[in-house]
Parts: sequence; C-alpha cells; structure tokens
Amino acid sequence: MQETRHQFREDLRELERQVLGGLDLVIGQLDRALESVSYQDVELAAMVVADDDRIDGRYLEVHQGILSLLARQSPVATDLRIVAALLHCIRCIERMGDQCVNIAKLVPLSGHDAPKDKDTLDAIERMGQLARSEVSEAKDALRTRNVELAQDIVRQDAEINRLNRAIFKRAVEIGDDLELREWGMFMILVARCLERVGDNAVEIAEQVVFVVTGLFREVADIGASAETAQSN
Amino acid sequence: MTGPETTSKEPKRMSSAPEQSEQTEAAPDLSAMGERRQGHGIKVRDLHAYYGSVHAVRGIDIDFPANEVTAIIGPSGCGKSTMVRCINRMHEEIPGARSEGSVSLDDLDVYGSNVDVTAVRRMIGMVFQKPNPFPTMSIFDNVAAGLRLTGMKSDNLRERVHRALRAVGLWGEVKNRLNSPGIGLSGGQQQRLCIARAVAVEPEVILMDEPASALDPIATLKVEELIDELKNRYTIVIVTHNMQQAARVAKSTVFMLDGEVVEHAETTKLFTNPSDERTERYVTGKFG
Amino acid sequence: MSTVSGALIPEISAGRKRRDRVMRGLLMAGTGLALVPLILIIYYLIYKGIGSWSGSFFTTDPNGNFFGNPGGIRSAILGTLEIVALASLISIPIGIAVALYLTEYGNDGVFANLVRYFVDVMTGVPSIVFGLFIYIVLVISHAGGSGFAGWKGALALSLLMLPIVIRSSEVVLLLVPSSLREAALALGAPRWRIIWKVVLPTARSGLVTGALLSVARGMGETAPLLFTVSVAFPVTFNLNGIMNSLPLQIYGDITSPRDVVVARAWGAALTLVALVLILNLIARAISRRSRLT
Repeated sequence: MQETRHQFREDLRELERQVLGGLDLVIGQLDRALESVSYQDVELAAMVVADDDRIDGRYLEVHQGILSLLARQSPVATDLRIVAALLHCIRCIERMGDQCVNIAKLVPLSGHDAPKDKDTLDAIERMGQLARSEVSEAKDALRTRNVELAQDIVRQDAEINRLNRAIFKRAVEIGDDLELREWGMFMILVARCLERVGDNAVEIAEQVVFVVTGLFREVADIGASAETAQSN
Repeated sequence: MTGPETTSKEPKRMSSAPEQSEQTEAAPDLSAMGERRQGHGIKVRDLHAYYGSVHAVRGIDIDFPANEVTAIIGPSGCGKSTMVRCINRMHEEIPGARSEGSVSLDDLDVYGSNVDVTAVRRMIGMVFQKPNPFPTMSIFDNVAAGLRLTGMKSDNLRERVHRALRAVGLWGEVKNRLNSPGIGLSGGQQQRLCIARAVAVEPEVILMDEPASALDPIATLKVEELIDELKNRYTIVIVTHNMQQAARVAKSTVFMLDGEVVEHAETTKLFTNPSDERTERYVTGKFG
Repeated sequence: MSTVSGALIPEISAGRKRRDRVMRGLLMAGTGLALVPLILIIYYLIYKGIGSWSGSFFTTDPNGNFFGNPGGIRSAILGTLEIVALASLISIPIGIAVALYLTEYGNDGVFANLVRYFVDVMTGVPSIVFGLFIYIVLVISHAGGSGFAGWKGALALSLLMLPIVIRSSEVVLLLVPSSLREAALALGAPRWRIIWKVVLPTARSGLVTGALLSVARGMGETAPLLFTVSVAFPVTFNLNGIMNSLPLQIYGDITSPRDVVVARAWGAALTLVALVLILNLIARAISRRSRLT
C-alpha cells in the first residue's frame, strides 16, 4: 500500500537529495580551490570561480522547491523542521561556495612564484583538510540524522579556529621578509575563508541537531543537547 | 517548554481599512456584550463514556483554562466529539449512552446529584458542525430563541438580541432584515447566527464541534476570527478535523486517539515538535 | 456525429429502443386502466348529481314526505359537519399527542413499538367494527340518556380517524431534523418547551395536512354512523340525539322508489365528494406553501 502523502514525501526526499548534492559540489570546489593555492594553479582557480554558478543555481532550485512545498503541503512537526533546516543548509552551501571562490580569486593575486613559507603552507593544507572533513561529515550527519557526528564537527571546528590564529601569528612573523610579506597576507585571507567554511559546516551541524531534537542550540550547548536527545 | 521562537498571535484582518462605520459593524465586537467578567474554566477528571457496551472515552483528564481556546484533534472515531458532548451533558440524551467521571465548571461538578441539566447547558453552550438555525423563525427570533426557550424572561430582549448580533459581527449584514427567515442566510452567516444564538444566553463556556467544516474558506476564516474575539469573554473548546485550523485559533491542543488523550501541549509545540510518536505520525499525515 | 465519438459512446441499439417503447406502452396502459374507473365515477357523479344542485337543495331539509317536494339536504350537510367536527376535536389532539409520545419519548422502546403495532392494526380494522363497538357499548346501554346520538357517532368516527392521525403525524414529526432538537437542547431548553416551540411549529404544516386528510376520510364513512346515529330529517344541534348526516342520507335515499329522491341521493354524493375534494385541495395548498426552500 502506498504510504500516505506519497508525493509530499517524495518531494521532501528530493529536496534533501539536492541539498546533499550541493554539499558534494562544495567539497569539489574546496578541493580544487585548495589545490590551486598549493600549486599556484591560476587556471584551476579560474575554473573554481566559473563553477560557482552551479552552486548558485542549486540554491535557487532548492529555495523554490521549499517555497512550493510550504505553499502546497503545509508541513508540520518533523517535516516542518526538515524544511526549515534545508533552507538554512542551502544558504550555508551557497556561502561556502562563495568562500571557495574567494580563495580561488586570491591565487592569481599572490603571484606566479612558488609559494614561500612551508609552515604556513602546511597549516593552510591542514586547515583545508579539516574544512573538507567538516563539510563531508556535515553531509553525512544530515543524511543520517546523526547527532554525535554533529558534535564531532564542532570539535573539529575548534581546531580550525586555532589554526587560523596560528597562521595569523606566523604571517606576522614572516612579515619582516619583504618577499614573503604580501604572500603571507593573502594566506591570512585564505585562512579566514577556510575558517568561514568551517563555521558554515557548524551551522549545518546545528540544523541537524534541531531536526532531531526540535531544540535549537548554539554551538556550545550541542554536546549537552546530544545527551538529552539520546535519553529521549 | 522551549521551542523555536513563537510569534504572538494577532487576529488577521481580511480586508484592509474599509470605511470606519462598516468596519465596526462587520467586525465582531464583543464589547457590545458589556463589561468583562471573570472567566471560568473546565476541569475534566477520569471521564468515561459509553454507547451501550462500546467504551468510547476511556479515562480522560483535561484542564480547559478560562478565556483560552483549546483545540481537540484526532482521527475519526477517536472520541473527541463524544468527550465534548459529555461536558454539556448532551451525551446522555442519546438512547443507551452513559458517562462516568467528573466535569467541573470552576468548583461545580456538572454531574452532581442536584444539578439541573438545563442550567448546565445554559452555562455551557454548543455550536454544531452543520449550522442549524430554527427554520420557522426569523433572524431575530432565532437569536431570541435561546432566551425564550429557557424561560429567561427579560424586558430588554431586543437589546440583547442586537448585542449578540453585534458580538458575532453579523449586525451590519442583517440589521435591515431581522424579520426575514433565518434559513435565508448563507452557510457562513447561518453559523454565525447560531453562534449569536448561543452567545445571547450568556454562557461561560462555548463548545464547538467542528464549527467550520461545512463552510467555504472565507466563511471559515470569519468564524475563526470570531473565535479569536470570543475567547476574551468565554472559554472555548473546539473540536476540529482541520489541523491548520487548530494551529490558527487554539492556544493549546489536545490529541486524542482511541478514546484517550495522547498529548496535550501548547499548539506551537505540538505542531513543530510533538513529544509523542503517535502525535508526530498523525499530524504529519502518516496515518489518520 | 463523428465515428470517433460513435466508437467511444455506442449508439443505442434498435432492440433497446423497442424494449423501451414496449415498457412505456405497458405502463401507460396500466395507468390508463387505473384511471378509467376513477374518471367514470367522477363522470357519473357529476352527470347524475349536478341536476339536483340548486339553491333550495342546500337550504331546505329533507322532509320525509312520500309525495311532493322531498326537500334538500341541508340538515345532512350540517349534521355531517357537526359530527365530524366533534370527531376531529377528539381524534386530532389525542392523535398528535400519541405521535409526539412515540417520537419524542418512546423512540424504540418496547412500549412504543407495542403502541405502533396496535395503531397499525387499527388502521386495518373495518369501519363497521367501530360502529358496532360503539353500538354495543354506548347505544344499547343508552349511555348519556339516549340511544342513537350524534356524539356517539362522532366517537365511532374518531376511533377510525385516530390511527390515521397518529400515523401521518408520526411520519411528519420524524421528518423534523434531530439537529433542531439538539440545538434547542444545547441551549438549555426543557423537553416540553422544545416540543411546543420548535418541533410542533416546524412540523405544523405536515400535521395540518395529515389532520385534514383524516377529516376527509371521516366525512365519508357510512358504517360507523349506521349503528350509532341513525337518521333524522330536521336540523338539530343537539348532539345527544339522533341527527342527519350525508352518508346516511345517501344510504337512505338511494333505495327509494321515487326518482326525485334517488336524484337527491346523487346530489348528496356529489356534495360529499366535493367537500372531500376541497379539503384535499386545502391540504395540498398548505403543504406546498410551507415547503421550505
């Protein structure tokens, strides 16, 4: 027997698939942006900028789909929370895409010389990996409604924030060297973009907790609410 | 109880700024009924109701707070109409039906041994699903019927009828044809006429059994607007099939299933984050 | 008509058409067969009776003379009106009361169903039995200080009219939507007030129609009056004595050897039918006027 509100459930699942697909797009963009930074690959960076259109398009699709669903189906309870969460998430995705573009735009600016400071570069790479893993985990957490995974994202984000501050300090240190100074400042900007990506992934994690528990908590309390969700 | 931010409910006005006199005549105007009195709530304790051997209502405990609208939702046959009819003792009018338990209007148990049933029903009025104005009576007589049928002699009958019509927002539409037959009105107007009839007797509580389900959407919204006004003066219990309606008018909502209360919570919470799995499944349409 | 639509919705077959026509023809024939005697009766009544109608026909009493002008039927008309009026006064209020009991209080109870059963039986009792019953109980015993009497005839008629009133009133009262009773109950009205101010007014036209039809029926009954009222020629308003009535007048006149008296009988029969017809038309007009849109 067909489940009740079959079309509605199908539409909702499709919207979720589109959002998850958007996260895949972000991961792809992030990988390529980081690569272009590591190897100063200007052409790759240009591709990242151009491909942001896909993410923007995805945003519009999901946005429209959500409006249509709200108008036609009057979702309530869990369905309503999912719809609200998806709207948040697709905005986060769009912003993450924009951050990848910002990173890519910094590549040609930092000149065609090989990158200079290994420490900074390592830190950037590390940040990139963390950001990527955060986004990937956010996707999984959303897909499986996993509150513990959401908690883990928050933990990782602390590390990203720490690396961001470290890169800033390092840039100040290498600032005396005239050749490195400009490059260092661009790296600060890259780090900040990555940190923003991490923040958006954390927002997605918050939405996952909201969908599951019905409670909206800021980052700091996510650990506690995960425990209450367990006991419910 | 925490939840996503709730916005306070403002009654929605359908039209934007019509003429002043039209507005006061068309909108429900409860101040016509006089000074506000202290509201009275209802407490239901351990209520059971039977149709012969069928146990339709199984041990219900609910508080209906004064001057608030409480909605009762649930699938067909869950006992919500039966339960409501036990509150004004209409259930026992059905042959073979009986009920047990207590229903208190403030401190008075309506099932008490010396209680006059007709007095109970004067205090606890009822509006039905299908509008049922008396066909042989004019609009005026319909509203006055409550007073005449209950033997409430009053010298200012006219005034009371006019007040009741103003209170429900019908005055502007019928003031020039008070003597025309009540059944000549449209469905939505008939229902508001029935509400005026119930209000004219000046009850404390108004029970509404799916009052808008036989009406078109505009008439429905007018009735809902009226309910929002009425709560300022009466305690209201509304049974409804329509979840969006419960969400729009009621401060708290009760979900019933198989004769029992499954969940009773603030409406916003029940519709955004219900505690019980069965409530979740019902409101999202997974069954029902 | 294109062949496409013809394929989707096939034309009616010739056989079907034929069967439809045959069926219609049979039904019309049956209707005609039933109408024929009806029309014949009315025709005969008018043909034979209209000749007697005249001014004096309605204003003089039959005088029982063997020769000369036999008189009109005034006392018969008045007598019928008196007797039937008394019978109505008895049977209609009681009948409506019983119907109210059955619909408002008895519902499906054992006693109520017993009552309904007996009422049904009474509608089937031959009218002569009512006459005989009153004859044995009241006439022979000279109850009330008289033998045959108008009021005893009225009583017999009311026994006949009662089940008709009960039956038709019950049907009409059942048609009053229970939602109206519910509405009145929910307002806090006591039962009797609901009956008086809601149920009865709503059912009023139906009750009136039913009453009028029972009156029309009572007017024409001969057998009950035979044994209870007998015949008298002068006009009298004393219901405690014998009096004239249309059915008995006809009964008496039709076997007379005098043609003019027989003609009077036909005139009286036509009058009786006319009265019944008028009552029926009034009943019909009332029910149509009150039909709620």
